[in-house]
Amino acid sequence: MTSIEADVAFEAETTTVRSVSARGTRGRRQHPLAQIRSPLSIGWRAGLGVAGLMSLVLIWLIASSATNLVPSPVETWHAFTRLWRDGVFLDDVRASSQRIAIGYGISVALGIVFGIAIGTFASAEAFFEPQFGFLRYIPASALIPVMLLWLGIGESPKITMIVIGTVFFNSLMIADVARLVPRELLNASYTLGATRWTVLRRVVFRHSLPGIVDVARVNLAAAWVMLVVSEVLAANEGLAYRIVRAQRFRGFDTMFAVLITFGIIGLVSDLFLRWLRNALAPWAKP
Amino acid sequence: MTAQPKLVVEGVSKTFGRGDKQVNALADVHLHVGRGELVCMLGTSGCGKSTLLSIIGGLEQPTTGEIRVDDDLVIGPGADRGMVFQTYSLFPWATVYRNIEFGLELAKMPKARRAERVKELLGIMSLSEFADRLPRELSGGMRQRVAIARALAPEPDVLLLDEPFGSLDAQTKRAMQDFLLTVWQRTGATILMVTHDVDEAIYLSQRIYVLTPRPGRVTEVIAVPFGRSRGPSIKRDPRYLDLRDDLADLLIA
Repeated sequence: MTSIEADVAFEAETTTVRSVSARGTRGRRQHPLAQIRSPLSIGWRAGLGVAGLMSLVLIWLIASSATNLVPSPVETWHAFTRLWRDGVFLDDVRASSQRIAIGYGISVALGIVFGIAIGTFASAEAFFEPQFGFLRYIPASALIPVMLLWLGIGESPKITMIVIGTVFFNSLMIADVARLVPRELLNASYTLGATRWTVLRRVVFRHSLPGIVDVARVNLAAAWVMLVVSEVLAANEGLAYRIVRAQRFRGFDTMFAVLITFGIIGLVSDLFLRWLRNALAPWAKP
Repeated sequence: MTAQPKLVVEGVSKTFGRGDKQVNALADVHLHVGRGELVCMLGTSGCGKSTLLSIIGGLEQPTTGEIRVDDDLVIGPGADRGMVFQTYSLFPWATVYRNIEFGLELAKMPKARRAERVKELLGIMSLSEFADRLPRELSGGMRQRVAIARALAPEPDVLLLDEPFGSLDAQTKRAMQDFLLTVWQRTGATILMVTHDVDEAIYLSQRIYVLTPRPGRVTEVIAVPFGRSRGPSIKRDPRYLDLRDDLADLLIA
């Protein structure tokens, strides 16, 4: 945003233009909450965020008072403390998080290798992009029966599912990130004596780093979907397994406690990855 | 000028595309730059001057002809031909210091000597106070000074400048031209610069190659009648004004 735009936004928010001598007005005043692409004051941001969360809680309260198919927040909290006391909660979180960490870690690592290759070398693009474009549209969850038959019911089918469900998206999106490296940076490096390997490591990868973290952040949600699908079908522990188990006893309170846990884990990892992006690449901060 | 030119461009032509869509960007271009000389290629946009500079830099291959530096055939890019681009060529994640150091690191120069060389260049470029800044914290003129320092750091045989001041405002541009003259006088670098600015070409160079488009070819070589140490006063010299008119006519023709 230019400083002039910023000034205008600031003025619209804080002052009302008055005049004693003017005949009429020209132009159209814009309300600060409905301006296209202008920043919001920190007070409004925080206020609206809290209001959004509160409205969610309100809907929940209304729903839970209307039907006993929805547990109240208090019942959900009790279910949560019960899970915690039984010692299963932390085990579930650990089991699920570990699957995500390993599976998604592999997926991101492969995505970086494939993505940078596709985004940098026309030959890699020609070879990989059509097949990845095809594989990407096979719903990974449809592969679960195949995976269970091939790999049994241990950890490996779950980790494999997370990898398959996200690696093609990661690769193709990281390829787009790598394509954004300005040609001038590559040319400048070559004329400073850089080899292709140096350019890949120190220019292409370096320039892509914040974009890679963003891609990882976006696709992390898909990794959790794959985890849930595979835990629902075959597992002895894990957050999604806990939900399936609760279903047998109509344990809506337990289900909700786990669902909220998913949301909190997602929110925390999202914030962490945003922080990581800015810590790794302060130069690319918006 | 010494008997043996530093840089020789011999019969270079460049064609893009095939068949009906074939474009002759350059046709049979010959030019040379002597050791320590500052030469400009002057032409309107689309005359192929930047393509020629890329070919000299080794970033593109000529369709026919060859480039030689000190009698070695150019087959690809290398640190012997430092290049400065119009914009966006500094590493945005690296400080001014680290940007300038990049080529020295690649040349495997020991750390202590790198520090010495970078400090020297920071001094020459009046950038000493900005060593720890990131490119985005600098003005356009300062960024181009960093780019020039970075290109000069590995002591290239030839410095290639591709409209380096093209995106700067008029005042900054004038200051940068004086600055480039000072750097050239102090370092004795061999410089080939591309520009579309007639004044810039006369003010800076010892010789001017005039390129005309479709296909890009050298139509005139002009010796500028001013010595190495020159200043803004030459802009009021009648010879300067005549040359300026002649060149403007050549570019329109």
